[in-house]
Amino acid sequence: MALRELKVCLLGDTGVGKSSIVWRFVEDSFDPNINPTIGASFMTKTVQYQNELHKFLIWDTAGQERFRALAPMYYRGSAAAIIVYDITKEESFQTLKNWVKELRQHGPPNIVVAIAGNKCDLTDSREVPEKDAKDYADSIHAIFVETSAKNAININEVFIEISKGIPVVDAAGGTSGKAFKLGRQASESHRTCC
Amino acid sequence: MCASRAIHSPVNGTTAIPWRSSRKRLSLLEQLRGCQEAWCPGAPWDREGAHAAICGTPAGSFLVVRDSATSQPSLLCVSAGGEHEAVVDYNITSTGTVFQLSDSRLSFSDLAQLVLFYSLTRDVLAVCLFIPRWIYSVTERSKDNLAQLEPNTWLCTPPGQHTTDEMNQREPSNVVCSIQLTSTNGALCIINPLYLHEHGDDWLTHRASAVQRATQPSNYRQERRLSSTRTWVGAGLTSKRAISLDQEPSSMESSGLTRAKSADLPRCPTTPSTPATPAGVVLRRPSRDSASSPPYRASTGSLSLFTPSNSESKSCGAFEPQHHGSPVLQSPYRVSWIEDGVWLPPPRPSSLLHPPSLELDSLSISSIEEEQEPQTPNPTPHHPSAHRLADKVIHRLSAVGQALGGLVSPRKRLINRVLELSERKGAAFAEAVKGFVEMTLKTGADPEGVTGSEFLQQVRSSLSSLRETLLDYPEIQATLDGITDINDSEIDSLVELSLHKVALKPVSAHLYSCIHVSRTNDGSFKRLQSNLRVLEKNGVEQLGGSAGVGVPDSLTLERIQQRWTSMHEAYSPNKKVQILLKVCKTIYHSMSANASSGTAFGADDFLPCLTWVLLRSDVVTLHLDTDYMMELLDPTQLQGEGGYYLTTLYASLYYISSFRPRLAARQLSVEAQQSLNKWHRRRTLHCNQSRRSKNRRTIRRQACRERGAQSFETETEEKEKSGKDCDSVNNDESQQQRESSAEALQPLKEDTSRGREAEDESQIPSQASDCSQQAVTGS
Repeated sequence: MALRELKVCLLGDTGVGKSSIVWRFVEDSFDPNINPTIGASFMTKTVQYQNELHKFLIWDTAGQERFRALAPMYYRGSAAAIIVYDITKEESFQTLKNWVKELRQHGPPNIVVAIAGNKCDLTDSREVPEKDAKDYADSIHAIFVETSAKNAININEVFIEISKGIPVVDAAGGTSGKAFKLGRQASESHRTCC
Repeated sequence: MCASRAIHSPVNGTTAIPWRSSRKRLSLLEQLRGCQEAWCPGAPWDREGAHAAICGTPAGSFLVVRDSATSQPSLLCVSAGGEHEAVVDYNITSTGTVFQLSDSRLSFSDLAQLVLFYSLTRDVLAVCLFIPRWIYSVTERSKDNLAQLEPNTWLCTPPGQHTTDEMNQREPSNVVCSIQLTSTNGALCIINPLYLHEHGDDWLTHRASAVQRATQPSNYRQERRLSSTRTWVGAGLTSKRAISLDQEPSSMESSGLTRAKSADLPRCPTTPSTPATPAGVVLRRPSRDSASSPPYRASTGSLSLFTPSNSESKSCGAFEPQHHGSPVLQSPYRVSWIEDGVWLPPPRPSSLLHPPSLELDSLSISSIEEEQEPQTPNPTPHHPSAHRLADKVIHRLSAVGQALGGLVSPRKRLINRVLELSERKGAAFAEAVKGFVEMTLKTGADPEGVTGSEFLQQVRSSLSSLRETLLDYPEIQATLDGITDINDSEIDSLVELSLHKVALKPVSAHLYSCIHVSRTNDGSFKRLQSNLRVLEKNGVEQLGGSAGVGVPDSLTLERIQQRWTSMHEAYSPNKKVQILLKVCKTIYHSMSANASSGTAFGADDFLPCLTWVLLRSDVVTLHLDTDYMMELLDPTQLQGEGGYYLTTLYASLYYISSFRPRLAARQLSVEAQQSLNKWHRRRTLHCNQSRRSKNRRTIRRQACRERGAQSFETETEEKEKSGKDCDSVNNDESQQQRESSAEALQPLKEDTSRGREAEDESQIPSQASDCSQQAVTGS
């Protein structure tokens, strides 16, 4: 079975729960050797997708505004980016839009973009309506999922959708598709929470 | 016992190695399975019949007799050879799925594995089992013919079979196989095929003939006893090595044989010749934590000689009758030390210098370059006996315990192979290395010549072509193929490391001075130092860390400084990264030391913490090392954990050197992107070159992806620039970008006089994207 290493970059404001999402994603990796030993800012997990193994190399970035200039160093060469916002913080959704712009401009072509509205367990303090976010994601052909790292909702789904969105490697070794080839619709099942 | 079963199939959860199994040829194990009826006949064969057949055959000749009632294999009858033509019986216990000799703890999933294992290593036997030579030629025969072989045919040993010529002609790959076996406590032992590669299969027969000459039945008990005392003089393997050094008869003569002979003699720890054996003896460190081993030794031979000092006096006397008169020692392959506990990872020292958790797992290059950490003492020499036992196994058998976490011996072997090649007169690789070193030393010395990152890139591309030259050697390929127990990326690291040792080591000091000159000239160091003074008073929260995140205490900080020093001393970029990872882990530890449990600190907190540490470190040297690593590291390493933390180190230094409180952050971003674009393009260019074809499929795909990305980026960049040009407001910025993009890794050119306010920050990229976005997305 072919193993593909997929570099995935995490973007989003500080405090939106980027590292919690990753932590939740990798926590059930049964093989301790697969899990990182150094810290939560870099983690890996291998999952099977169809007849391939996808090894996610997850690069977390510092979300503070002062470090924004450093982000290109991290998303360089990424196969996918997960842009995380906090559904209880409108501001974090605006930051997300800036990230999308920047990725379009400077990110790798063909990068799969996934938008994760985290903390969807906190419905009471929601500031970003799900429909708004979903419409925005559709408009840029991005994967959209509302997640809750706390309650382990839709975490795996984000990565499954990314696996689906990764261009298939054809025999010639090239990848097909255009920039932002993200035409996948987030399926209904992703809205089971909230 | 299915004949078609892949030899690498998982046993007790060990992992199969896909790309190697595809190359699998008919192995000795399969051949053995094919003719199992010959060596393990059913009724009417019984003990007496077997003894009669075996009597007079060479030592090690054997038959397995089945129990008449259950027809389960019950007895292993082995010829002890010699004058008395004794036949020794060993009971076989089988539990249905597992076979083992009653005296041994080693169990096997089928009988053929058991037989093959005991043909390689004696364990509780008096002699290794002898597998007839003709079995190697059955490859072409049909399975039917194999199955029809008679025990008497099996035991038949045609004259001339033992000639060395025939051995050498035989394709060595036939013996590529590995046995994985588990002892009762679940420990794993692997006979590495590299051992067979390295020593050929001639020792099988050499051993047999030697034993035939030397072993007296009266020695048998003594042999058994010795086996149980678990001591070893360490000469056997050395002599084997000498025999297998067929490519270098001269060095064999000078080091191998003499050593073998001297080692052959009964000797005690006080024997002066033992520690002072000629070049070519490498003493491996007892463990990666230990600094008790001698520092670095250049070596020409690849054999590790290990003399257990605490048991030496005992073994000296005991072995004496065994050795005289026999130039080739009896089997050094013995695993009877495998017992409960030995395979467990050694307990970590409790010293502050080695916190238990400071182990690496990614980029696990292990401590191959033992000279690299001379300053780490080992205050707690824990369980030396366990170490020694483990070392013995690793060295003599190339067997490895999974729990020990790595195969030192194959790695050593590869590195020594590469060293040999680089010193071999007239060899293409040796010439290439020589040319590289001369050229590199000359290039940097020219003040008008290229310096800085360009120069380092030349070095990197030279390394990549050296690597290709190296991998063109069939013997290197064979060595790599023999390493079955580490994955491809680790093999890549291994090749890189060996390359660094021969090529990078001689020039590393020179490279440092070139980087230093370059960075001094472009003002990077000055900028870094002046900003250091501005930022150093900041606490971690002022640097962006969240409340509650811990920073290293003074003791930890001191330890980190030591690590930085050793990082600088390392010449291999891989090794440097490895040390960097240790530092990062230490920092992570400090971060969460006071935090409530369960808090997962991500990059939001790690970057500020690392920055905090850097502000208390020698940033100039760190910058130098960062340049060195980023430019010289094998591009494939850049995506993993090492690449991540290296990027973070670079990012942090970049943050410090470009820190301007009032400068628009987004403006920095554009420039950072330009700079990184450049760097990334440079680095990925070599990605393809450095990849090795067939076994590197995943990496190659990655490279293709990257390659596609590059061309696209270039296009994007151009469009972006033209977009900038139509934006009169930002002419200054675009001008600046061009400047900064000309020098890739260089931190930003300062232009604080314009002092753009922070409110501008979102303006610039959006303006740029207005012009270029359409083109980008439309393509």
